Amino acid sequence: MKSNTQSDNLIWRLLRRNISPAQLAGYALSNFVGLAIILTALQFYIEVSSVFEDDDSFMSRDYISVSPKVTGLGSLSGPGPETLDSTAIADIARQDWARRVGRYTSARYNVTASLDMGGRGMSTALFFESVPDEFFDITPPGWTFDPESPEIPIVLSKDYLTLYNFGFASSRGLPQLSEEIMGVIPLKISISGRGHQIWVPAHIIGFSSRLNTIAVPDEFMQWANDNFGEGDSATSRVIVELSKPGDPAIKEYLASHGMEMAGDKADSSSAAYFLSILTVVVVGIGLVISLLAFFILMLSIYLLLQKNKDKLHDLMLLGYSPSEVSRQYCRMVAMINGAVCIGAIIVMLISRAIIHGPLSRIGVEASGPYITVGIGVAAMIAVTLLNFASIRRRVTSYFN
Amino acid sequence: MSRLNDISLRNVVPDVFRDSELHSRIWSCDITFKRGGNYLIQAESGTGKSSLCSFIYGNRHDYAGHILFDGKDIRKFGIDRWCQIRTNSLALLPQEMRLFPELTAYENIAIKNRLTCFKTDDEISAMLDLLEIADKADIPARFLSIGQQQRVAVVRTLCQPMDFLLLDEPVSHLDRRNNRIVAELIQNETSKQGAAIIATSVGYDIMLDFNCQLTL
Repeated sequence: MKSNTQSDNLIWRLLRRNISPAQLAGYALSNFVGLAIILTALQFYIEVSSVFEDDDSFMSRDYISVSPKVTGLGSLSGPGPETLDSTAIADIARQDWARRVGRYTSARYNVTASLDMGGRGMSTALFFESVPDEFFDITPPGWTFDPESPEIPIVLSKDYLTLYNFGFASSRGLPQLSEEIMGVIPLKISISGRGHQIWVPAHIIGFSSRLNTIAVPDEFMQWANDNFGEGDSATSRVIVELSKPGDPAIKEYLASHGMEMAGDKADSSSAAYFLSILTVVVVGIGLVISLLAFFILMLSIYLLLQKNKDKLHDLMLLGYSPSEVSRQYCRMVAMINGAVCIGAIIVMLISRAIIHGPLSRIGVEASGPYITVGIGVAAMIAVTLLNFASIRRRVTSYFN
Repeated sequence: MSRLNDISLRNVVPDVFRDSELHSRIWSCDITFKRGGNYLIQAESGTGKSSLCSFIYGNRHDYAGHILFDGKDIRKFGIDRWCQIRTNSLALLPQEMRLFPELTAYENIAIKNRLTCFKTDDEISAMLDLLEIADKADIPARFLSIGQQQRVAVVRTLCQPMDFLLLDEPVSHLDRRNNRIVAELIQNETSKQGAAIIATSVGYDIMLDFNCQLTL
């Protein structure tokens, strides 16, 4: 073992001649830059894409609400509200970009809510809608309805609370309400239709960012429509879970079918789409740099082997095998590549720490760096093995 | 690894001599070198003795005909086989020595011996002593005289197990006294191993007892 090491040292003393530190440094630097760009972009993408996967986030992009476009003329002259018929809904469900479609069910009865706030009674006309539970971004406790002991759980759009607190309450001198306070206010709901009326207690049990409505459980809606509903049931809008958020085809489809999507989610969808394109471009640039670096290394080593051709030949005459000789160069390449890999991972981790500040302020939770580290190490191992193979092949060619 | 018992040349002609008229006991002839024999190949300059050594050693292939090791055509040997042969069966002392100028005399020997692990440091020192170059062991080869380099190359060549020893003008730069010392060292080693010597010479022969002399 000892003699082997010494022998390796001797061979290395021979073969390290003509090594160009400048060329190797050039390779190491460019590969380092390329790999650092790739890993940082990947890590950034992983961090940010967690936002898109998060249901209740500012960039929640997976759901849109689609409704027929209301034109002034149509609503004034037409016989009733614009609705989506089953054919139209089925057609939406067939589109590439739609994963699931859920119907909003409207109340076909009159709803009035009243509450008692410090002796001041308030009463207002309301509406209810329901959507299938799987489209909710929250699952509050008590989201059920039992006709035997009726009490209505309500999920309210966060926007409504904001509108009340900052639009209505502040201009009317009314108290501002937090989500918790809203939850404990006892409401009384009057449901009337088909000539009879009942009063049912109700509670606001949660606030949704996704659903821009006053939502009640499907079971309650079914029960109430069955008992108090007047007129035909019709679906006026649907909620769509998207499989290709930001796909331009969505806008085209909706425009050509006279529909529109609710809210500004479309913009964040485009942002998601744009982000993924941007990531691909940045990773692509990193790949090109790394690829060029790879060629620099190969050229440098080929040049080195060419310059050491006589020595390689003499070692061959002594009985050395191509693998014993190429092992020396492989060790050098492995050390450089290892250093490059570690350096790039460190840069990625530093960048992660830097971007984590701004990201955490907009509510992005940190994702572990392990996937990116794994990708970096795997890529570097692959590149190193490729280096080994070409060094070995080149050395062997000098032995023939 | 089994022993190499004979090396046969079947109608071998270097490509450069293909169209020349040859009066040779080797080129275009059938000849077999047996393990244990001492062969002297006498040649004039330019008749291809170094080529012959290179052909047999497998590092040049520009010849017609066949060279057989125990009946097997050496053109079919792969690199791994050659590495085995060059460390276990066949030793070569090239005419131009091919020492690494940046390594010391000792390191030039060690780089071979550490591949074969054949001689101990003491044995190497003893050989250097015998050849009167022990004091040059730590001097880079480029600072040695040609005669000293030749002796270092002899020691290096002997640092391996062998069945055949190819000596390409082994004493061209040595005086008669050193010629005799080198010859004794080589003869001792080959006798111990039962190896054959194939030596070339342009007129100044190594002082060995040859049992076969051939003209190239």
